[in-house]
Amino acid sequence: MAKIEDLKEEARKLLREGKVKYIIGYGVGSNGCMANPVFIKRPEDVDVLIWDPTCVHNLTRFLVDEKRRKAKEKQPDTRPVGIIVKGCDSRAIVVLLQEKFIDRKDVYILGVSCENAGVMDEKKLAKKLGAKRPRKIELGNKGQFIISTAEGKIEVPAAEILAERCLECKANFPVIFDVMSGDKTKRILEKPYGSIEQIEKLSPEERWNFWKAELDKCIRCYACRSVCPMCYCDECVVDSINMAVTPDTTAEEKADKTKWIQRSAEFSENFVYHMVRAIHLGGRCIDCGECERACPLDIPLRFLNKKLEREARELFGYEVGFDDSQPALISCFKDSDPEDFIR
Amino acid sequence: MENNVYLPKLAKIIEIKEEVGGPRAIKTFRTVFTNGTQFEYRSGQCAMLSIFGKGESMISISSSPLLRDYLQFSVLKMGRVTSALHELEVGDLIGIRGPYGNGFPMEDWKQKNIVFIGGGIGLAPIWSVLQTALIKKENYGELSLIYGARTSKDLVFREECEELKKKMPVFLSIDVAEPGWNEFVGFVPQNVLDKKPSSANTIAITCGPPIMIKFVIRALKELHFEDDQIYTTVENKMKCGIGKCGRCNIGPHYVCKDGPVYSWAELKNLPQEY
Amino acid sequence: MEKILLKKTLPQWVKQLASYTVFCPKKDKEERWNYTEIDHEGIDLNFLNTTVPPKKILFPQKEIFLEFIKTDESNQETLEIREVLPEKKATVIFGVRPCDARAAWLLDKVFSGEFTDPYYWIRRNQTVLVGLACHVPPSENCFCPSVEGSPFSEEGLDILITDLGDKYFVKSLTKKGEQLIRAAKQLFQDPQPEDLKKVKTIRAESVKKINRQLKDARAVSSKLKGLFESPLWDEESMSCIRCGICTYLCPSCHCFDISDEVESASPLKGNRVRTWDTCQFPDFTMHSSGHNPRPEKASRLRQRLFHKFQYFVETHGQFQCVGCGRCISLCPVGIDIIRVLERVNEHGK
Repeated sequence: MAKIEDLKEEARKLLREGKVKYIIGYGVGSNGCMANPVFIKRPEDVDVLIWDPTCVHNLTRFLVDEKRRKAKEKQPDTRPVGIIVKGCDSRAIVVLLQEKFIDRKDVYILGVSCENAGVMDEKKLAKKLGAKRPRKIELGNKGQFIISTAEGKIEVPAAEILAERCLECKANFPVIFDVMSGDKTKRILEKPYGSIEQIEKLSPEERWNFWKAELDKCIRCYACRSVCPMCYCDECVVDSINMAVTPDTTAEEKADKTKWIQRSAEFSENFVYHMVRAIHLGGRCIDCGECERACPLDIPLRFLNKKLEREARELFGYEVGFDDSQPALISCFKDSDPEDFIR
Repeated sequence: MENNVYLPKLAKIIEIKEEVGGPRAIKTFRTVFTNGTQFEYRSGQCAMLSIFGKGESMISISSSPLLRDYLQFSVLKMGRVTSALHELEVGDLIGIRGPYGNGFPMEDWKQKNIVFIGGGIGLAPIWSVLQTALIKKENYGELSLIYGARTSKDLVFREECEELKKKMPVFLSIDVAEPGWNEFVGFVPQNVLDKKPSSANTIAITCGPPIMIKFVIRALKELHFEDDQIYTTVENKMKCGIGKCGRCNIGPHYVCKDGPVYSWAELKNLPQEY
Repeated sequence: MEKILLKKTLPQWVKQLASYTVFCPKKDKEERWNYTEIDHEGIDLNFLNTTVPPKKILFPQKEIFLEFIKTDESNQETLEIREVLPEKKATVIFGVRPCDARAAWLLDKVFSGEFTDPYYWIRRNQTVLVGLACHVPPSENCFCPSVEGSPFSEEGLDILITDLGDKYFVKSLTKKGEQLIRAAKQLFQDPQPEDLKKVKTIRAESVKKINRQLKDARAVSSKLKGLFESPLWDEESMSCIRCGICTYLCPSCHCFDISDEVESASPLKGNRVRTWDTCQFPDFTMHSSGHNPRPEKASRLRQRLFHKFQYFVETHGQFQCVGCGRCISLCPVGIDIIRVLERVNEHGK
């Protein structure tokens, strides 16, 4: 069973020896129950680290911030950053390595295995508990969740409140790590793409109506983009202001910059934003599910990314985020790539 | 709707003068409203110029409010809206709404000397004050101008400055020596220390790149100017121009509405986040 | 005026409001509520609070200011600007929590003053806000009393309804509210002394149930000024992912952008629109030159908290936070405004 104590020991050692700048991990949030990202600089603070089914965040996202921070410093501290990752999160690191966004030496990976379970879905939990408020959520040794509330403990089979993506998880233990806690339990997936079946059953017209209803809700808060480790572009297709302005950028360059999408959160613009983002993530998204979790309007974004993940697999035999020695899918080609669109 | 603050009025460009060419081009535009009106304004106030299809840009009105014939704006080509403005020709229409901002408190400066210190395009916002002071000469003490730019080609109102020399001391400067240049060579703050304007009964107004303003204020303090004798105009990214969109704030102030004119005494008490 | 309406009669009241467009909170498939237009049927006030506050109706994500059209008639190019004002549409929003209405009251201050925002005011003046007092805090992160609000505050509302079990205690607070009641006056009864007593009890109880508290917010407000340069902003903003959730879903946030949306380049035709914007986006304050007064996340978190707890207090005498707790509940990384301000309080000691 994955134990946070193992990782705490390692974290303490790394910080004491100055081997890492800081450790990115999970700590308890202000409501005393749900985990939040924490950044630990001192060995004596390591005790705040936790590991339980509320550790839903993909902490790899903060490696992007670290890179941006280093880029601004004149003499950056080149020591690695320690990071606690689950299986899915580790695949995000693989993608960043493949794309040469970060170096292997920039990160010290403390892996943790979800074994037979995963993390919980807050909305499913709320439905299960009704008006009761959870105080603590733990993983039992029979793969069930033990939820403590003011009224006592409730045991729930994992499948009932596991995050959807965990039910389709391809990497329940980290695929890349320096140390790991927990067993490399292999899980057999019945339906690795089960979640998109419900959309694929729909006719094109029904699908259009489905997405129209969903994307009409979008307020373009960009939480989906902001929480994604792979959306690391300094200047995104939706930004009409050139964020990558330098003193050498001419007025003409700024004036001629194409505005692809208006700021209005109307269906036409929202549709282009989400579709373009999904395509930009094709072959890169590792289904950490953060985009969908972060969305305050509950737009089922995973459908888009999962579909493209399957396309990558079926068309190119490519599994995202497993082998960092492989080139990134979009940056290479093989002679055996499908050519049926060439007539 | 009467007085919809967001609705610009159409204005025609009646004159365009190229002050500076090249990548850091500056053009001066003179405009009149198509409905024949003119609005009342104070020196230091700005207006939002609309290029429909591109957007709006907040530009200082550089003509004196005592001149009723036109509104004058000097615009540095910097981005989308200003580039579009630079493409326009005499006779083209733009939108103008305003005037916005607080303007310089010229009524507090009666009988005081005024030294104008500008850098680059920064001369434009204070030009209005200068012209007004010249027209109402009897209300003010001695006027002088210390103005500089990177090169002689980057100086705005070049001919007007030469004309001005006949009426008041004008001290020009450029950053690096050029053949044929026989005035001061160096940065504007250095020129200020070189010319040593007296702080006695004097107001100093400065405008230019933020770094220049910082060092000019330092120079003026060295010359014993008090904080409330030093005035500047601040700029910030603006959209609504009326203190509602939340973008241009410095602390609790909105630069478009509570500024852009500040005395150093006021500005130094605001968060230095601009 | 104070009236009683039997709960089962509520749908009839709504039916009598045929000349109004009616909004009320509706649950979606994920069991979260949002204000939805109802066709005078299916009114239900059994909800906690919506994800998107009612500010979206008064201050929509997108609104058109004006249209610009260039025409080429008989070889003379003309440019026409046409103002586009909000549609005249008498509107009622049922089920507005007192915090969200208080936020509308704060927005009223922003959009009036030296300059009046015509677009906001047309919508605001034609919308009736029917509030629902809170028995229990709608969110585990509610803290309205800490910011001088309450589960039954009246600012910004036209009517305040208190749920007495099988009936509603309906209090009109403005002429607009009174008009709404008069539109179906036969459905209402006069309150009895025990009704008034029950209202008092419910109110006293509801405040006690609020879980979270920010102690001495006014003191926090004055301590903030001295902490502008503090390293605490850097520490607290480490996990911020710079999305727009905290500000877009905040009922009292009002930052916006104005941009020109071109439908046709030649001949030129398009709209100038206002859209929501947020001080949390990195390019919010970025000048065209590339200079950015707030390039760091720390400065942007600082701006949000200062604006709500210090600048707004200086300008309008009120906190610009109503304690609805949405920013805390919805932040993907759990940045907690109460916790950050508690640190400010401790720091200032």
